[in-house]
Amino acid sequence: MMPVSQDKQRRRTLLLKSVQHCSRTSSSVRSFVLTGAHTHRAPHKSSVHTQKQTVRVFDEENNDVTPQPLSQDAGVTQAESSRFLQDELSAGSVSLQTAGSGSFTGMPCSSSFLGSSRISSQSTLGSMNEEIEDAFSKLELHTHIPDVRGMKSTGKEAVTEDQLSEIINVCITETESFSLLDLPSTIMSVDADDAEVIRQRNQRYMESSKNRAGDDRFINRWMQTLNGAVKNKQVQSTSVCTADTAVSVTPWDMYDFVCGVGEEKAEVSAEPKRTEHPQASLTSSKCADGSISLGSTASSVSAASSLKELEASGAVVSTDSDLQSIMLSDKFLLSLDVMEKCVLLNSFQPRLAAYRQLPVLKGWSDVSEIVNQEMLSHREAEERSSISPTLECLWVFTCGPSEGWSVSSMAWNKNNPDILAVGYSEGSSTNQSAGLVCCWSLKNPRWPQRILPCDSAVTSVDFSALSQLAVGMKDGNITIHTLQSQEDCSISSRDSSNTHVGPVWQLRWSEQELSLSEEKSESLFSVGADGWIRQWFVHNNSIESIDLMRLKRSHSVEKKTENVLAVQTAGCCFDFHPTDHSVYLTGTVEGLIHKCSCSNTQQFLETYRKHLCPVTCVAWNTLVPDLFLSSSSDGSIKLWKQDQPDALMSFGSSLRAVCDLGWSPSCASVFAAVREAQLEIWDLNSNILDPVVVQPAVPGVGMSSLLFCSQTDCVLVGDQSGQVTVYLLSNLRQGDSSQVEVVEAILRSAA
Amino acid sequence: MAQLADVEETLKRIEAHKGVIGTVVVNAEGIPIRTSLDNSSAVQYAGLLQDLTMRARSSVRDMDPQNDLTFLRIRSKKHEIMVSPENNFLLIVIQNPCE
Repeated sequence: MMPVSQDKQRRRTLLLKSVQHCSRTSSSVRSFVLTGAHTHRAPHKSSVHTQKQTVRVFDEENNDVTPQPLSQDAGVTQAESSRFLQDELSAGSVSLQTAGSGSFTGMPCSSSFLGSSRISSQSTLGSMNEEIEDAFSKLELHTHIPDVRGMKSTGKEAVTEDQLSEIINVCITETESFSLLDLPSTIMSVDADDAEVIRQRNQRYMESSKNRAGDDRFINRWMQTLNGAVKNKQVQSTSVCTADTAVSVTPWDMYDFVCGVGEEKAEVSAEPKRTEHPQASLTSSKCADGSISLGSTASSVSAASSLKELEASGAVVSTDSDLQSIMLSDKFLLSLDVMEKCVLLNSFQPRLAAYRQLPVLKGWSDVSEIVNQEMLSHREAEERSSISPTLECLWVFTCGPSEGWSVSSMAWNKNNPDILAVGYSEGSSTNQSAGLVCCWSLKNPRWPQRILPCDSAVTSVDFSALSQLAVGMKDGNITIHTLQSQEDCSISSRDSSNTHVGPVWQLRWSEQELSLSEEKSESLFSVGADGWIRQWFVHNNSIESIDLMRLKRSHSVEKKTENVLAVQTAGCCFDFHPTDHSVYLTGTVEGLIHKCSCSNTQQFLETYRKHLCPVTCVAWNTLVPDLFLSSSSDGSIKLWKQDQPDALMSFGSSLRAVCDLGWSPSCASVFAAVREAQLEIWDLNSNILDPVVVQPAVPGVGMSSLLFCSQTDCVLVGDQSGQVTVYLLSNLRQGDSSQVEVVEAILRSAA
Repeated sequence: MAQLADVEETLKRIEAHKGVIGTVVVNAEGIPIRTSLDNSSAVQYAGLLQDLTMRARSSVRDMDPQNDLTFLRIRSKKHEIMVSPENNFLLIVIQNPCE
């Protein structure tokens, strides 16, 4: 860029920018000698350089091409320049500051102390340094400097031609930035309160700037602004801890939560125990609100291992309290009850199946096999020989408390045909002071569901339609028990004004039509040894009675000795007509059977005389109308028709008293009678002279009571040792024609 | 509240019945609190049957949330295990009906 004068080849201006250019044209430097000549040093120079060496450069032709100092003004500048060059050549390091601290070199040309812009100066010493090392160029100084010096001394003179033709280097550097207008932009949130104002301002500005497009007063001008240095900032925070949870919810869990919230609030107290509950991994549903079902807690303890640990650690204290609370809870008793029945049913299953006329499962258990075999073989034997009715003992209701007591009465629950009430009286028939009532369930033949001790020997029991149990006792007391709950609620007739004086021989609940309305209400009827038949009404917690009938002594028997006191004769039994509930039969001690009506309290409708001894039982036939049986202590059983005053038939002639009697509910011609020594089953269809089946009693133990089962062909027999035996009646021949016709045919044939 | 004597008596009656091998009463946490078997068997029965009862109950209630499990009987070759599940306890009876 700055050409070198041709005539001064050996002296070159030391220029930064043209050094490269110069080097090409100059002869190559052959050698480079560094001599250590001491140079003058200006006192105000910086002390950085302590060079005392003089460097002499020779080219190929041994010409001295040592760069000369730029100027030799007062020897100082020369020294400075030489020093400067030496510094450059030797040190190889450029210090802009030292050179610029008064040196003419490296400074803006304006600050050259020579006052002349002819002096070359390097713009940057760094680049010069490099150039010097690479190549050398002659410095044209010695001749020039005096010229320059000469010129300076004169001050301002006219510029010579030489000077004009000289190439002058102008150095341009950057000044610091001046800030003319600093209008920093403001940033504001859109949600800020005065954002609206700002937005409007912006809007207005945009519109006005658009309007000014054609306006001459305003010119759009672009300016480059400084971009601020970007600084990265980092903020460290604690990491957010995350945990994964998973819950599997079952439909019933959701149902519990939605519907069962109120119910389970009461049981929240049990919840803390549930949290350690071992959990199967399958049902890991969350416990919604304390639902305490076994499968709804959210712990994850493995079952077996935790159990073993707990066992090993011996958590005895909590288990004791648990035991107490569990054992005393009602649910536990209920569970025990059900469990007992299940356990017993396992062994009693074939017998109960036979009772209920269900097929006995083969292979259920070995017991069933045996029983089945027995029954099969028995039946087969029977079938092979003849189809004769058989009695099989299925099981025996017996328990500890009732052992040794005599069964006096039995009754089925009308609502639940599985429940049987049995009345016991203690000891032999003479000494009877205490009584017992047991409510048995068919499902538990080993232990009664309820045990109700009574003050006096129980003579009669009967269930009402509402499952109230009426108990008649020997002391004339009648107690009505409500058996719905576990506690014993009973109403006694002791407080009533009108009670029986003697033993209550029989009780019966019967539906009666109320006089004014057509409603039917059930009331209790009793017949007692004092000769009164009473109807009892239950009010709130007491019962009241009205006298229904007075059993007067018949005059024909006791005519001679009219005992004023013994006007009445004791009634032993009674039975209501199966369809017309207002008509009933009653048997007396005299052996008379009276037919009475509830509406007529003064007179008997009819009297049947045949028996000589007290009538122990009368029973209407439920299937054939107007037929009834009566049994008495004289050992005979007589069959009567309602309208005829004479007995149609008489059965049995043994002298043993008949204790109890009953018609079969399913077969019109079958009835059973219990004498003390045996159970007799009569079938009028097959044999009117002898009982079809005779079951002798266990020797020493007399039978005392009989009850048919309403739904199956079973007979219950109670004996004097407190046992109630269930017999299955089978193979009773059933004719094709209707039973009523059969019976009537029999009657006609007998007559 | 039921009488403790009645409860004890009933439990003894069950244990004395023909074929009953043992009974276990398990509390809510799966710990047998009263048993007639040896301890290790009782613990094993309690743990295993509790799981099974939970699963059975869950199955029953999944079908119909208004339904609930009342009794569980498992008949095997050798015994029959009967479980009466309740909210806060489990009554287990093992019986061999073939005796």
